[in-house]
Amino acid sequence: MHIAPTLRRRGLLAAAAGLPLPFVRAARAQPSGEPYVMGTLFPMSGPNAEYGEAFTRGAQLALSHIAADNMLRRPIRLQAEDSQALPQPSVVGMNKLVNVDRAVWVLVSWTATSKAVAPIGDRAKVIMVNGGAVGPDLAGLSPYFWNVIALAHLEVPVMVGYLTRQRNVKRVALIYVDDPLGDAILGQLRAELPKAGAELVGSFSVPRAAQQFGPVAARVRQTRPDAVYVASFGGQQSQIIKGLRDNGVTQIICSYSAFSIDSVRQLPEAVGALYTTQKLDFESGDPVTRRFAAEFRARYNQTPVAYHANYYNAAYLFGLLARQVEQAGGEVNGDALREAMLRTRSFDLVGGRGTFDEQGNLMTQMQVNEIKGAGRSEIVQG
Amino acid sequence: MLFLQLLLNGLQTGAIYALTAAGFALIFGATRIFHFAHGTAFTLAGYAYLFAWRAGWPGWVGALIAVAVATLFGMAMERFVYRPIQRHEGSFFTVFVAAFGVGIVVQNLVGMFAGRGLATVDTRLSFATEVMPEIFVAPILWIAIATAAVLFAALTVFLTRTHAGVALRALAQNPDLIRTYGLSANGISVLAFAIGSALAAPAAIVTAMTSGLNEAIGHHVMLISIAATIVGGIGSLRGAALAGLMLGVAESLALQFVDTQWAEAVSFLALFAFILFRPSGIFGVAMAR
Amino acid sequence: MIAYLSNLATQLAIFGILAATLNFIVGYAGIFSIAHAVFFGLGAYAGAQIALLLVPDVVLACLFAAAIAGGLSLCLALPALRVRGEYFVAASLGLQMVAVTLFAELKPLTGGIGGLVGIPLPTLFGVPVGVLPVALAALALVLLATALLARGAFGRTLTAIRDAESAAEALGKNVAAAKTLAVGFACAGAGVAGALYALHTSFVNVESFTMEYSVLVMAMVIIGGTGTLWGPLIGTVILLSLPAGLAFLPFIPPSEVGAIQQILYGLAMTLLMIFRPAGLVGDLSRGRATA
Repeated sequence: MHIAPTLRRRGLLAAAAGLPLPFVRAARAQPSGEPYVMGTLFPMSGPNAEYGEAFTRGAQLALSHIAADNMLRRPIRLQAEDSQALPQPSVVGMNKLVNVDRAVWVLVSWTATSKAVAPIGDRAKVIMVNGGAVGPDLAGLSPYFWNVIALAHLEVPVMVGYLTRQRNVKRVALIYVDDPLGDAILGQLRAELPKAGAELVGSFSVPRAAQQFGPVAARVRQTRPDAVYVASFGGQQSQIIKGLRDNGVTQIICSYSAFSIDSVRQLPEAVGALYTTQKLDFESGDPVTRRFAAEFRARYNQTPVAYHANYYNAAYLFGLLARQVEQAGGEVNGDALREAMLRTRSFDLVGGRGTFDEQGNLMTQMQVNEIKGAGRSEIVQG
Repeated sequence: MLFLQLLLNGLQTGAIYALTAAGFALIFGATRIFHFAHGTAFTLAGYAYLFAWRAGWPGWVGALIAVAVATLFGMAMERFVYRPIQRHEGSFFTVFVAAFGVGIVVQNLVGMFAGRGLATVDTRLSFATEVMPEIFVAPILWIAIATAAVLFAALTVFLTRTHAGVALRALAQNPDLIRTYGLSANGISVLAFAIGSALAAPAAIVTAMTSGLNEAIGHHVMLISIAATIVGGIGSLRGAALAGLMLGVAESLALQFVDTQWAEAVSFLALFAFILFRPSGIFGVAMAR
Repeated sequence: MIAYLSNLATQLAIFGILAATLNFIVGYAGIFSIAHAVFFGLGAYAGAQIALLLVPDVVLACLFAAAIAGGLSLCLALPALRVRGEYFVAASLGLQMVAVTLFAELKPLTGGIGGLVGIPLPTLFGVPVGVLPVALAALALVLLATALLARGAFGRTLTAIRDAESAAEALGKNVAAAKTLAVGFACAGAGVAGALYALHTSFVNVESFTMEYSVLVMAMVIIGGTGTLWGPLIGTVILLSLPAGLAFLPFIPPSEVGAIQQILYGLAMTLLMIFRPAGLVGDLSRGRATA
């Protein structure tokens, strides 16, 4: 009695063996069953929706690669929730993802969202991965909260080194939004510039909703800077750049990874602006990066930027870790995924090999990019 | 020197505020409708100009389209949203919520169809050159001020010399006068919305060239318009325009004295203080309480 | 699902308190404030600081929040005594904008834009307790107080002020005291809601207390029907569960999910106002031009 099913399966296998090889492989590894749910909690409406759109693209490409490679036994379903980059809608969305959709992996962005949902994910033991915000306050929010983006403390020293050594900059002015990120950048500039023989000649905090930067430009001009560091995000960055350039500030403009959105890279006034990102050389020999870059271009008709890569990595990492858990025969949940991450630590991701610290923050090499206009940028220091 | 530079910057912003505030004040003064969607007309006009520019059409065509879009939007709001509500003697805030809903809809439609994030009209007009040592002025400054001045002159002539204009001013206080002129109150109401909304268009075009547009751009301008209407004194176009100009200048000049992050709060603190100590506004008739 | 619903219910109760208290000054006293989120925020910061520095006792946090918000409600009562109608709306707008800047800048008290994180889970006399039952109890108390106050002499004084202020004054009603008390009660209630919100989300920052939230609460009151006991509550349920419910629509592509939800949401607001201008519970025949 017990032999019959086994026999039948063998018979099927034998029959399958006669078929062309690719078909067999597909038939055997085809993911089936209840899908894993991966949630996204990005601003999809409101003034920051541009980011949500970019983040989603990166994640979607990663999921199609995971499916194409048959990495997992079960399919993955992407469930998008709109965080509006605000705490209250984020909490509602996170609760839905965790309790209704039973997501095991949630991609988050934005400082306010991250801080508001971290306690929820922590209690439910759901992995949350940030690839957008770089405030230092995002490290160590929860054992289940990871960052696949280098936080600000890695960005500023690289920029300062480049400015002082390559561009002979002695005086830097800072325009910043006074949140934990802006605060951290201010502190870093204060500490790093004197070490490099330069000084911070002025710092100007602007409200998040400010739109007119002509008057601020006038104050900046007075400090006679060689370079202006901009620490804001979203559309406001473009407004600051345009406000500075229109109002007689001709010096170098520089920033952190937030400049890698299209509205900045397309802005004619932004040509020549410098910004740091993690190492991301699409022409490099590393196959993961090359595949990502080529297929991203083919799919979206757009050259990928750091944010696309980060959320590609954030989603792809799930594939890598869940495969480990599946192969070990365990259940794919927050604890198992976290153990797998801590056991492996280093992964082949877009941009090269990335290593996580014990809190789940990715440590990467940084590079300096220069905006060349019409959406292009060039690596000026690898 | 910094003072002069900030003053000039402030005048440019102030001209934008003055135009939108005058439009809001005109509508509010005539119809008593708190047209919270005035900022939406501003947004739509700005994007209309942006699209015309992207299509490569000459500036004046874009400007005409922008004015037409703003005007049509204002008239449609009056006809399809406010009038049905007013028929039911809708309270002040019913109108407010309805307009707020329209604002949300338009903001998201613009995001879907025009792309999210900041978009600017690239022009040399907004590029400032050093006219004196340390003083940078862009051509757009003179254009903004001249446009505002011409439009106010035209508006004043219209409001004082034509029947429709007088009727417009009379709508709030003396509806009988309108009938004497053989005009309908509904018609005048639509007219108020048409002219008031059209005034937002030039301001939106200047904004598209200077600080750029995003889906939510109308919001801030709207708040300033409300503030200017109150500070200027309800019912006074002159007051609203002047108050708008002053708020723009204050926002900029504040940087001479306080740190940059306090600039916006200064304007609204001024509004708060004005209401407490001179509720009738600069030119308003005393009508507090 | 139960955890999801319980979170939604907690938020409904918290915003229900906000709407009910705002309705008290809007519907009964004719004071149209778009600064309610300021007092929500004050309460949230006060409650969060108590929980962080002292003890996360939910009653203590609520009381302290009510005291702070109620005390500072004088900022709102002052213009309410001087002006009415559009002038007051603009004054409250000014207060709202200034308060947001202060919330963002007073880092030692509010944590600035970064906010206050790691607010401990609430307890009641040392025993861990969920926010939901407390919030429901607070909501019931606020509704009860509203009903009692509205029916009593105080309520009659307020409605008299709303409908004809000078007449009320001529009749010997103490207009100033009545208005100040009404504003104080409403703002203290908003403060309680704030403390509960802080304990519920374990994180507060200025972005939850902006003008958008003031307008949202005002919309809840208007959509439900001003001057009614249950109207604001119904408005709260609609405006909070609409976006939550729209999130369950399966056919929206991820990149458009936010925009489409927001469009439906805005459309619902406008259409409701066009077809039910007095609110869902409001009495159409009683519709007055209130401001």
